[in-house]
Amino acid sequence: MKDLLRIKSLISTEIEALLNQQVKKEALSSSIYLSMASWCNRNGYDFSSDYFFKQAEEERVHQLKFYKYILDMGGNAISPEVTGIKQEYNSFREVFEEALDQEISVTQSIKNIYARCMKEQDFVTMEFLNWFLKEQREEEYKARRALELFEVIGEEGTGRWQIDKNVGQITYNSEA
Amino acid sequence: MITTITTTTHWTDVFKTSAGAIYQCDAERCWYVDFAGKVAKFDYRCLLKLRKAVYHIDIEQTLLNTTKDPDVEIIFICACDHCYVLSLLQIIALKELLEGTFVMLELNHILHERLCSIAS
Repeated sequence: MKDLLRIKSLISTEIEALLNQQVKKEALSSSIYLSMASWCNRNGYDFSSDYFFKQAEEERVHQLKFYKYILDMGGNAISPEVTGIKQEYNSFREVFEEALDQEISVTQSIKNIYARCMKEQDFVTMEFLNWFLKEQREEEYKARRALELFEVIGEEGTGRWQIDKNVGQITYNSEA
Repeated sequence: MITTITTTTHWTDVFKTSAGAIYQCDAERCWYVDFAGKVAKFDYRCLLKLRKAVYHIDIEQTLLNTTKDPDVEIIFICACDHCYVLSLLQIIALKELLEGTFVMLELNHILHERLCSIAS
């Protein structure tokens, strides 16, 4: 008896479901960043707004990478429904705190998929996920660095204006 | 709908219960589901859709439901030629049949993988 399931799809149903969940998560991240970009823009933090626009774009690219991978492997990619995006924030700092929370949750979610791949010995998907793990290093670094600016510059006086200016310049170029 | 089988292609038993059976046809790369008085052909996508549809029925909720509606579920699968109208008992039986089938397909997959790794 032929292994028809394997002929049709490289990834298992469980991995496919997890990858589809990740598609949704990336779409959610993208929308959250877009909402943050709007809030920053409305409140006069233009550099931060640009930073979040870029982040929203990046998350969208991640979403499509997962989406196309599922299709390429013979799976069924599901276009996600994204609702309930928070539109208002209490402070400038809160925006960045939530951005870091979001990145941490994405990292955790990718780790979970990786763990499942290890269990199933799905080395193909593991290799695909390696790029994302490296990407998360950068994403978390940038989010953490932005929050650090609140500590080192301080919010008093023209502090927030200084923080906003510096957020746009955060880059991650580690050789590691 | 009752399909009369006239082809002579070889079918392999995947899983059988007293209520029905599922066969695999390697030549056509599909499965034949013999259940509720008919034999229906399912390709890979449709079989997965059938499984999803059946697994999503909340049997416990339907059992506890005290309304006077008949306990009949219509399983309609998008882009598939077949439709099932089943009673609750039949749904339980179909679920059992599908669960067994996917365990057997998974087992077949494991065997293929092991054989491949020995052969290489």
